[in-house]
Amino acid sequence: MESLLAIRDLALEFHTFDGVYQAIDHVSLAVAPGEALGLVGETGCGKSVLTRAAFGLVPSPPARISSGSVLFEGREILGLSPKEQRAMRGRDIAMIFQDPMTFINPVFKIGTQLVDAICAQKGRGFGKRRARELALTMLEKVQLPNPLRQFESYPHQLSGGMRQRVLIAMALAAEPKLLIADEPTTALDVTIQAQILDLIAQLVEDMGISLIMISHDLGVVSQVCSRVAVMYAGQIVEDAPVAEIFDDPLHPYTRGLLASVPHPLRPANKLEGISGSLPNLYAPPPGCRFAERCPHVTESCLKGRIGQKYIGKQHKVACIAVEDTMQHA
Amino acid sequence: MLDLQDLQVHFPTKGGLVRAVDSISLTLYSGEIVGVVGESGSGKSTVGKAAVRLIKPTAGRVLIDGVDITNATRRQLKPIRTKAQVIFQDPHSSLNPRMTIRDIVGEPLRIHSKQRGAELSTTVGRLLERVGLPFQFQHRYPHELSGGQKQRVAIARALSVDPDMLILDEPTSALDVSVQAQILEFLKELHAERPRMTSLFISHNLAVVRFLCQRVVVMYLGGVVEEGPVEQVFANPQHPYTQALLSAVPLPQAERNNGRIHLQGDLPSPVDFPTGCAFHPRCSYAIGGKCNVDDPGWTATARSRARCHLLDHASA
Repeated sequence: MESLLAIRDLALEFHTFDGVYQAIDHVSLAVAPGEALGLVGETGCGKSVLTRAAFGLVPSPPARISSGSVLFEGREILGLSPKEQRAMRGRDIAMIFQDPMTFINPVFKIGTQLVDAICAQKGRGFGKRRARELALTMLEKVQLPNPLRQFESYPHQLSGGMRQRVLIAMALAAEPKLLIADEPTTALDVTIQAQILDLIAQLVEDMGISLIMISHDLGVVSQVCSRVAVMYAGQIVEDAPVAEIFDDPLHPYTRGLLASVPHPLRPANKLEGISGSLPNLYAPPPGCRFAERCPHVTESCLKGRIGQKYIGKQHKVACIAVEDTMQHA
Repeated sequence: MLDLQDLQVHFPTKGGLVRAVDSISLTLYSGEIVGVVGESGSGKSTVGKAAVRLIKPTAGRVLIDGVDITNATRRQLKPIRTKAQVIFQDPHSSLNPRMTIRDIVGEPLRIHSKQRGAELSTTVGRLLERVGLPFQFQHRYPHELSGGQKQRVAIARALSVDPDMLILDEPTSALDVSVQAQILEFLKELHAERPRMTSLFISHNLAVVRFLCQRVVVMYLGGVVEEGPVEQVFANPQHPYTQALLSAVPLPQAERNNGRIHLQGDLPSPVDFPTGCAFHPRCSYAIGGKCNVDDPGWTATARSRARCHLLDHASA
C-alpha cells in the first residue's frame, strides 16, 4: 500500500554554541492511510523533533536538515516554501499537543477561536456562518457537554480535559489526512486520559485519518495504535505491530523500557530499569547508540552504523545481536 | 508512627471556602509504606504537607510518634524535622540552584547535628554514595545533574538526618520510566535495609503504588473513599471510584483494556461541594434520593474499608 507519509533517511542537527547536536540520525518511518502509529521514547530521544522537522516546524537555524526526504502523498515536502508548508499544515496535517492552554488564546472565547481556525483552514469563501455551524458540529463530535454554552466560554472556564477536546475539534474540523498527537494526555488525570484516548481512537477511525501518537507511555500507545516505533537517542531502534512489541520485544532498549514499567494489576518483584544515561549527541558514538547501556554489548556493536533489519514481515529492529531471519536488502 | 485524626484543611479564598481535605483519619505503623492515590485536586499532597505541619490543619490532630504537633511552634517542630522528611516531585525546584550539592545535602546536618568542615564532607560523601552518586558530586551544582540524579540528591538530603519517616510526594512523576525504575528499586532497598522506616508515598500512578506499597488509601475530592492492603484493593476494589480509576489505567500490554468504566465529566469544584457522597455526580451506580443526600458511612472488612452506600446493602 502506498504510504501517506514516508520519511526517508532524515537527519537533523542543531547548530549551537556547544557544537553540532545530532538530534535525528537517518530515520526512516512510514505511515499508511488510516494507520495509527505510536512513537515512543524517553525525554530527549527526538520523537517530537522528528515529527516537527518533517513538517517544517523546527526553526532553521539552529536546526539544519542534512539529508533525507519527506514524502506526503508521494509529494516531496521538505523543499516547499514556507507558504506552501503553511497551507498544508492545518488542512492536510493537524497537530494536538500536551498542554492545550499553550495553544489557545486566553483572552478570546472558545467559539471565536474555533471559527477563526476553521476560516483559516478552509480559506476564503467559507463564510463565518458556515464556520460557526461546523464549529458547533465539531464540539458535539468531541462530546463536549453543552457546546452552545462552551462556545461563549473563555479557556480558563474549561477544565484540562475539555480544553483538549476543544483542540481536537479544532484540529479535526479541516478533515485532515494525518493527525499528530504529541503527548495529548500527559497533563491529564487517568480517568480523563481514558476519555480522551477513546475519543481520539474513535474519531480517527470514523474519519479514516492516519494518526501518529507521540508518547513516553507504552500503555497509552497500546490503547490507540496498531504499530509502535521505539526511538532512542535520535534513532528508531524497533518498529513493529503493537502485539509484537509487547509479546516479543527484540531490541535491548525496548526490553529495558518494558521492564522499567511496573504493571498496575500484577505484583512485580523487581524493576530492571536501564542503568546509565543518554549518550552525548554532540559526539555520538560511532556504533550503536545504546551500546554503553546495553547488557549484551559486544565488540562489533561499537564499530560502525547499525542498520535496521527485518525480523518477520512487519518487525524491524536495529540490533546486531538479533538473529537475522529475513535480511532486508 | 504517624496518626492523623479527623484531619481537615480548608483554605479560605475569594471564591469561597476550598475544602481541600475533609475529615481524614489515617494511621501509619512503623515500617509500613502506605500509598495515597487520587487525581489532581483530590487533596493527597495537602495530606502529606499537613502530616509534617508544612500546612496547619484547620481541625483535627496530627501525631508523630505519639507527639501531638497540631499546634506546635517552630521551635517545638525542630526535633520533628529529624524524624520526618519530605521529598517532592520536582527536584529542580526543591534544590537551590545557587548551592553546591555539598551545601544542599549538608544543610540539615549543619542545623541539626552541628557538623562542620571535613566531618561534614565525609558524611555528605557517604550519603551520596548511599543513593548511588559519586563522592565527587559534592562540588557540583544542581544544573549539572540530570533529573534522576537531582532526585537522588533530594533523597540524600532527606536521609541526612536519619529520619524514621519519609513523606514522598510524587517523587518519580517528573522522571523517565527507566530512571523511575531505578529510584523505586532504591526506595524498596532502603526499606528492606531499615525495617523501621515508615513512608507515606503520594502518587497518581497506581502501578507505582502497587509496586512499592503495602497499603493504599484512595482519595477523592478531599476525602478517603477506600483503603486497604494493596493486593486486596487492586484485585477487588469495592468503591466505584476505585474501580473506575483502576480500569482507566492504560495497561502496558498488547491487548486493549476491556470493560473500561467511563467516568463522566470532571472532578467537581472543592468550593461547590456536592451534597451526600462526593462521588455521586460521576457515579454510574448512584442511587437517587440516597447518594445525593446522605454521606455514606464506612463499610469495613477485616483489613480494608470503603465508603459507599452500595456496600451498605451488600453487608446488610
